[in-house]
Amino acid sequence: MERADARHPERGDKWEVQLRKGCLELAILAALWDGKLYGLEILRRLESDSDLIVSEGTVYPLLSRLKALGLVKSEWVESDAGHPRKYYALTPAGKQRVREMAGMWTRFSLSMSRLLAPLAKEK
Amino acid sequence: MTMSGDVQQRVETYLGRLQRRLRGVKDEQVREIVEELRSHIMDKVAASGEVTPAGVDAALAALGSPEELASQYITDNLLARAEVSRSPVQILKSLFRWASLSVAGFFVLLGSIVGYFFGVVLMLVAVAKLFHPRTAGLWTYPDSTGDLALSFRLGFVSAPVGGKDVLGWWIIPIGWLAGCGLVMLTTYIAIWFVRQYRKSLVLP
Repeated sequence: MERADARHPERGDKWEVQLRKGCLELAILAALWDGKLYGLEILRRLESDSDLIVSEGTVYPLLSRLKALGLVKSEWVESDAGHPRKYYALTPAGKQRVREMAGMWTRFSLSMSRLLAPLAKEK
Repeated sequence: MTMSGDVQQRVETYLGRLQRRLRGVKDEQVREIVEELRSHIMDKVAASGEVTPAGVDAALAALGSPEELASQYITDNLLARAEVSRSPVQILKSLFRWASLSVAGFFVLLGSIVGYFFGVVLMLVAVAKLFHPRTAGLWTYPDSTGDLALSFRLGFVSAPVGGKDVLGWWIIPIGWLAGCGLVMLTTYIAIWFVRQYRKSLVLP
């Protein structure tokens, strides 16, 4: 196991990968809570505010899916860089959804922390 | 930001490969995807300071191969649509697209076609029984080699010689229930497979 992980350090173990994957949707929606952002800004927000290691090739298709589901909307905005950027913002349905997900997350992580408390004591 | 010809060429080659792989996606959506990624690549390259071929290659590598990226878009699209609609037509459309991407998709498509086909046949026979009470239904009859053959008949031709209408009028409720059930079952199984496939895609 150690060897397999050493070969692909960026991948971590399978459980961790699934865990990250499951959180990505919530992480993206949460990043948009304060206002509209474009793809690269979302990526940077995820990198700076969390240790979710996100591959760029995953975020764009996911954004497109969230849009198809009506959770985010997008608009093109001209920029100083000389090319337009595609900004994403939460729709009312997206706000509703991220609130629900955040609630579920909080309840879940609290109960997990209670379960894991004995492990911390032993150290 | 301006890019030299060589650098521009690399970006366009990448986006061209991506675009060709986005078969079946609406033109307007393909344009959006390509423009968004072009914008992303230019921002990435600009952020790295100097515009060099190596910098562009790094930006493109971070996105993954065009094939992998396209398949994520297509499958994400397909799953989102299939999940929302649950209509057999939408599912079959999605499966056709998936079948063009992978062998697994091809077999799921094949299985779904068989499932839907028999579901529809059952329902059709149930309806046909109302119009052709003597000839429609589930028949058994001896075939040319003497074995017993089973046949769903809509009743447009005469009943098979020496045949037996197994279910009689029961074909109407049974045909409807079994037909609807089979269509629904096929739909759920197909969605399940699509979802499993999506889970197996490379994510972070």
